[in-house]
Amino acid sequence: MTHAVKYHPGMMLMEQYVEGTLSADVALAVATHIDLCPHCQRLCQDLHNDHGSQLAQLEPALSHNETEFEQMLAFITEQAPQQKPVKRVQGEMVTVTINNREFKIPRALSRMAQQHGKWLQLGGIATAKLPAGDKLHVSLLYINKGTEVPNHTHLGMELTLVLSGRICDENGEYGAGDLLINSPDDTHTPHTKADEDCLCLSVLSAPLKFNKGLVRLLNPLQQFFY
Amino acid sequence: MTISAEPHIRSGQWEDALTFVAVNADKAAYAELFSYFAPRLKAFGMKMFGNEQQALEMVQDTMLNVWKKASLFDASRGCASTWIFTIARNVRFDMLRKKQSRKDDISADDLWADGDYPEQEDSSSDKWETMLLSEKLAPHFDSLPPAQRLVMQKVYLEEKSHQEVSDELDIPLGTVKSRIRLALDRLREALDDTRS
Ligand SMILES: [Zn+2]
Ligand SMILES: [Zn+2]
Repeated sequence: MTHAVKYHPGMMLMEQYVEGTLSADVALAVATHIDLCPHCQRLCQDLHNDHGSQLAQLEPALSHNETEFEQMLAFITEQAPQQKPVKRVQGEMVTVTINNREFKIPRALSRMAQQHGKWLQLGGIATAKLPAGDKLHVSLLYINKGTEVPNHTHLGMELTLVLSGRICDENGEYGAGDLLINSPDDTHTPHTKADEDCLCLSVLSAPLKFNKGLVRLLNPLQQFFY
Repeated sequence: MTISAEPHIRSGQWEDALTFVAVNADKAAYAELFSYFAPRLKAFGMKMFGNEQQALEMVQDTMLNVWKKASLFDASRGCASTWIFTIARNVRFDMLRKKQSRKDDISADDLWADGDYPEQEDSSSDKWETMLLSEKLAPHFDSLPPAQRLVMQKVYLEEKSHQEVSDELDIPLGTVKSRIRLALDRLREALDDTRS
């Protein structure tokens, strides 16, 4: 990959991801980012090591009951250990096809991506829902070359992870691995360039509100993105 | 069982214990690990769940995985405590998600690759190095075609680089690599056969 990832999840997201306290939908976007980002892979390993040594240095629970632990130990060692060697199944590369283009899906997202819903298409834009959502809406978002997503305001949080290709908005350009986080009330007009399309993972906490012209009247578009 | 309140941990102690568990299902080594980590995992669980029953469920699931999957532990990726932490974190995550009991739900397996990122070309053979020495493989190693066996011996037993082997035997680098690949495939196959 020639493109270096520029936009990373913040430290707090990374911490919560490693602790396992981040909401699953957001964690899915963070995990997928990490698959695409060597920098965050190293950071993630460091955070894991931190937590490991914290665990080793924890004061043992005082209220423990000797018999309880002895029974647990006996129960566990009665079980058959897994036979080695365990052959690591190099999972087949999962791909998603849209607009006659085949995109490779990073490991973390592969199980979910295989279960994507029907593609809904509108102009150069297509979305397919993933079954992952709790409170958030998780979908794949495809934007064809030279296409503009109408100017919109976020009523909630929007997480966009570029999986492939390139997308731009008023604030910059984003390539594979880049993670954009928009807060409520942020307004922007994402678009692709004439020579490159884009596949993203999109996590939304609330519908988008379209701001301009005819599209505003067509705010049913919300249903399409959300 | 004694619970060490003030641990004097020799460095590498837990990593060694895991290796004994992995190789021999060594119950004594496992009991040492258990008596150190179980009470600490319980403290961790109490912090995360605030509830003794769930904390204990997490301890049991985590320590059961440590017993069963010890052979997956890879010291080159981090220490034993880090590995045990990731297991506990995953167990806890799945325990919380299971309440919603949805099959297609995001699981800990989706989110944490546990350092299993795509590796550079040669590092997957590192794991084989230790395997090669194990009793199981030795007989199959001997039955490799001589040309492959020679290359494998230089790379895995004499720890020479592919380039050194290529120079020494006066064969192209690509041939060295392909002989290794073929030999590893044969050995994998032989292992699969002995298991099934
Ligand atoms: Zn990153
Ligand atoms: Zn947006």
